[in-house]
Amino acid sequence: MTVVSTLRTLRSSSAAVPAALALLLALPGGAAAQEDFPGVALGMVYDAVAPPGLAIQPFEGRFGGQGVASGIEAIVGRDLTYSDRFAVVDSLPASMGGEGVDYALWDRLGATYLLRGRVEGTGDGFVLVLELHDVLYTRLAHEGRFDLPRREADGFRMAVHRASDAVVEWAFGEPGMAASRIAFSMMRDDGNREIYVVDSDGENLERVTNHNDLAVSPAWSPDGRYIAYQAWPDLMGIFEVDLTTRQTRQLDPGRDGNYLTPTYHPDGQTLAFGVQGNNNRSGIFTFNVRRDCCLTSLTEGRFNDLSPVYSPDGRQLVFNSSRLGTATPQIYVMSASGGDPEVLSPYRYGAGGYYNAPDWSPYGDLVAFHGRVGRSGAYHILVARMGRNRELLKLTVEGNNEDPSWAPDGRHIVFVGERNWGKGLFVVDSGSGAIRAILRGVDVGEPDWSPALGN
Amino acid sequence: MTHPRLLLTALAASLVLVACGGDPPPPPAPTGPTAEELAEMARQDSIRAAEAAAREAAARADSIRRAEADAAARMQAARSTLEEMVFFDYDEATLRPDAERLLRQKAEILRNSPAVRIRIEGHADERGSTEYNIALGNARAEAVRQFFTSFGLDASRFAITSYGEERPLAQGSTESAWARNRRVEFVITAGADQINPM
Repeated sequence: MTVVSTLRTLRSSSAAVPAALALLLALPGGAAAQEDFPGVALGMVYDAVAPPGLAIQPFEGRFGGQGVASGIEAIVGRDLTYSDRFAVVDSLPASMGGEGVDYALWDRLGATYLLRGRVEGTGDGFVLVLELHDVLYTRLAHEGRFDLPRREADGFRMAVHRASDAVVEWAFGEPGMAASRIAFSMMRDDGNREIYVVDSDGENLERVTNHNDLAVSPAWSPDGRYIAYQAWPDLMGIFEVDLTTRQTRQLDPGRDGNYLTPTYHPDGQTLAFGVQGNNNRSGIFTFNVRRDCCLTSLTEGRFNDLSPVYSPDGRQLVFNSSRLGTATPQIYVMSASGGDPEVLSPYRYGAGGYYNAPDWSPYGDLVAFHGRVGRSGAYHILVARMGRNRELLKLTVEGNNEDPSWAPDGRHIVFVGERNWGKGLFVVDSGSGAIRAILRGVDVGEPDWSPALGN
Repeated sequence: MTHPRLLLTALAASLVLVACGGDPPPPPAPTGPTAEELAEMARQDSIRAAEAAAREAAARADSIRRAEADAAARMQAARSTLEEMVFFDYDEATLRPDAERLLRQKAEILRNSPAVRIRIEGHADERGSTEYNIALGNARAEAVRQFFTSFGLDASRFAITSYGEERPLAQGSTESAWARNRRVEFVITAGADQINPM
């Protein structure tokens, strides 16, 4: 089942696509035969080349940085492993530390890159100095200094994640995703769902709502300051929590209705969401959440239009609708100002198919969603390449896989996976096909990956 | 009410007779019943009358109680009918015939009970996506509301919402659990004390 292509290839070079797809279509049935999604071209997507080796020399601590150096190295090492761009070699013996770089040694160990780190205490925190060496060209390629707060401070891990992302950017010229968080709903032992956030590596789990009831479908604002979500004070309403103050408020668009599945426009001002019932106009609506005004209807009808997400340029919306029947919801794309939606999911008359939960990649070229073919089929994560030559890729092969959301690197996707051991939060690298569970054995739903969290 | 008053008059007369006895010279022997006999008769009459009145009051209270209990039972039955759930087929928001039969009974009660307001809550089984199941539950609730409004009931009496798959009635991943969970529930939000059973 080794399929040679990458989503990045598809994105960056459309000329390469026909050749890659021709190769894929020529493959014998195999994996594709188990799940017969109409129009799905690929089973699994793997990198064409092995990722470059990155060795991490044991981090050095000075001036009070000795106590945290190895802990910081562990976070960076895992971040770079989770970036899925390097073959990381870390946790090396302390004897491999020290001054000077023996490039020949690192070359023999198979490293293309060498990362060196030094942590220095500054009184009210630390400075992390990172050096990325190019082993083949035997030179220091990049160097950076990163301020870290005290170890106990809230922002400590996030500051380390930002340093990890800089290393990815140095090596590949593309952003990493370590300095980001994932919001999702989680069922508690008391039977209620609340909104939680967790760091991209599955650490630092934190509860952000306190409804003691149901709260679902979180969505990050583009600046990472707010999370909008849906809760039930009897009827469905949209709430927004300000993560800087922890203040929560319910939006009042001034019209009867059940409001669900919010999403932010890239301008950070406008929310789009589905409206259902309690009035005779259902559909996708927008509302200016910073000025509390201007409820606008984009679609109308009794079609269960919901789960909207904007394209990164804010000019289009992808959403879910059952206008072909409640048993066969499909994914649609529409202008952000309304108009005729176009089916994106692989619907074929008579073939059924059930597609939900779209999310637009931060580069705008790909839309992920989940779907199943038959009435009892398993759910898988699918990715549609937008543009003239639409292609559909399938990223998962086992269990049930739902609610995909793109990482800010445009490469990783978080989703809810269900395996024989239970449910969890999974991340798939659309570049390599690698899948890992970052939270296991918890009843999670509707994850939304934050934008890159600066500061 | 004339009967008790007569009895009281007789009683008063006998008391006067008893109070006057013995002081003046004995009167001529009466030809009818003696004063003692009259007094005794009056006493017996008053006891019977009091007993009859008590029986009558008890019967009246009993019948009121029975009527009240009967009304409460009919109101409770009507309330149970209003609150009874309706169930749906997989992935469907259309009303089944058994649901329509029950909804017709509900509609009749609602027509006679204009103060009653209801929240219609849709639910789905665990299969399918979380967000879409909320939409499916909402569509089920909406189908119920449309059935009511097609009977001429005012749409403003009904609020609808959906909990999707989040509040299952039955746990487990079996067809019987799923069938129990694909439902619409009814919550009376106003006028629960003004249900008029037919």
